[in-house]
Amino acid sequence: MTTATLTAPTRSVKPVTFPRIVTSEWIKLRTVRATVWTLSVTVAVMVGLAALGAWSSTSFFADEPNAFAPASFPIGGWYFAQLVVVVLGVLSVTGEYSTGMIRSTFAAVPTRVPALLAKALTVFGVVLATATVAVGLSWLATLPFLGQMGVSIDLASAETWRLLLGAPLYLATITVLAFAAGALIRHSAGALALILGLLLVIENVFAAIAWRPLQVIAPFLPARAGSTLLVEDNFLGGASVVDGIVTLGPWQGYGVLTAWVVVLLGAACVLVRRRDA
Amino acid sequence: MIEATHLTKRYGSKTAVDDVTFTVQPGLVTGFLGPNGAGKSTTMRMIVGLDRPTQGRVRVNGRSYAEHRAPLGEVGTLLDAKAVHTGRSAYNHLHAMAATHGIGTKRVKEVIEMTGLESVARKRVGGFSLGMGQRLGIAAALLGDPQTLILDEPVNGLDPEGVLWVRKLVRHLASQGRTVFLSSHLMSEMALTADHIIVVGRGKVIADAPVADIIARGKGGSVRVRTPQAGQLEDLLRRASAIVTQADHDLLEVTGAPSAQIGELAAGAGIVLHELVPTKVSLEEAYMQLTVGEVEYQSENPLGHVAQDTASLTGVGQTEGALR
Repeated sequence: MTTATLTAPTRSVKPVTFPRIVTSEWIKLRTVRATVWTLSVTVAVMVGLAALGAWSSTSFFADEPNAFAPASFPIGGWYFAQLVVVVLGVLSVTGEYSTGMIRSTFAAVPTRVPALLAKALTVFGVVLATATVAVGLSWLATLPFLGQMGVSIDLASAETWRLLLGAPLYLATITVLAFAAGALIRHSAGALALILGLLLVIENVFAAIAWRPLQVIAPFLPARAGSTLLVEDNFLGGASVVDGIVTLGPWQGYGVLTAWVVVLLGAACVLVRRRDA
Repeated sequence: MIEATHLTKRYGSKTAVDDVTFTVQPGLVTGFLGPNGAGKSTTMRMIVGLDRPTQGRVRVNGRSYAEHRAPLGEVGTLLDAKAVHTGRSAYNHLHAMAATHGIGTKRVKEVIEMTGLESVARKRVGGFSLGMGQRLGIAAALLGDPQTLILDEPVNGLDPEGVLWVRKLVRHLASQGRTVFLSSHLMSEMALTADHIIVVGRGKVIADAPVADIIARGKGGSVRVRTPQAGQLEDLLRRASAIVTQADHDLLEVTGAPSAQIGELAAGAGIVLHELVPTKVSLEEAYMQLTVGEVEYQSENPLGHVAQDTASLTGVGQTEGALR
């Protein structure tokens, strides 16, 4: 409560740089509860579902231990894990709008776009790291069941690494897609409805209805395209175009998801400069 | 130094800030005064680039806010106490803000101490009272030790001790040669804190002058005269073109003639005076006169109300806080 300290302030103000903004965003991300619980749930879901999947395979597929690629077991929880990480992606930006924090953020970084990109990069990195750890733990959790089935993960196979590292990459990328939706809509409920609606309803409806226009579009929807990266070799059709309906290869599919992210994040960057905060 | 030129902000058909031009000088506390909805907050948001002006521009310390490489080191802003994530602690909020400018944790602890937040610094901001939120906002504004401070309603929600503290703080900051620009709708607070006042109403600058001038500009104070020869003095004063109203058989309210002149006139005519009391125009009254017709939501008769309360107004600054 003294003003005396003002006369001898610690003058250490440095220019705003991108690494400093990333540091700030990292502090912000790790100091709210939503981050802690979404990431904990992500790990729990990944490990739990991986173990459950492997365990059930020991009885259901006891006769055909090679029905699935062994590396597909540790990533078995990706589908449900994505529903958790997208919540983090959305809240990491809409939480600032709903609380008014965004005004403090933009007062510190008035050019705004670096703040938005630093935020996206931070949430990407955090989900990538967490999901990688989760896959590692899932591997350990599935080991006993894989042993029971008499199979093991072949570390020399490219497919193994595509699946094991592809899952964290996919989850981190879909998180940034959700982040971009949050940055565009600036409202938690609206952005969550959109992104969960896309993942749970829209993509499934497109895939399920045998109406040609939907079938033509379906492979290019973000989650369907991106998750091609997590399909084991046996079930991949191989990149092809049959009768106008495209089948994407794993990296092509991931490329399509990345394109969605770039377009939405680009739009968010343009709008964030135009809108009043 | 803040320089606004032809600053305009329209929201659809509504003009919140209408062609406003003013300069806020360093070394002074400049009050930004106006009724609710006059455009004070919108103007302040435009200064720090949160709202884009429809027209015109505003520069702080010689550049537009976004052109500064270390904006928090130039301008400290308290825009509203709610510009904080409610789930984060005060310390972490300040730490994150500081990180963008490479400001160390030492300074973070300093501003926490300066604003008296030590005991709650590790608690989530969501549980803060309005007053603690204001202190946190002021702490954030001071982080970069800026030359210019922009504080929107800083005393809002503070207890009397807090109000006094803000008053001392801004006076101290201005005395160090900093530019201090603070808004309020409380005239009494401004009278005690500001050196210079910019009055806005309906998005326009109504007055931009030192506090003393604003008071002087108010339609002159009245003088209360009690005399057994009221009728005689009234005629005399009317001839001297003063406005006289007889409040009682022996009591006159005189405007347009200073007490000295009234006393001399009375002495010259041999009139006995029992009372000769000049009533000062308060800043509040001057402000009401300036903004009448400019307020968006006008109560029935603001001037009448103020005139009756003139005597009690001098004490408003003190009782204001105590009543909370």
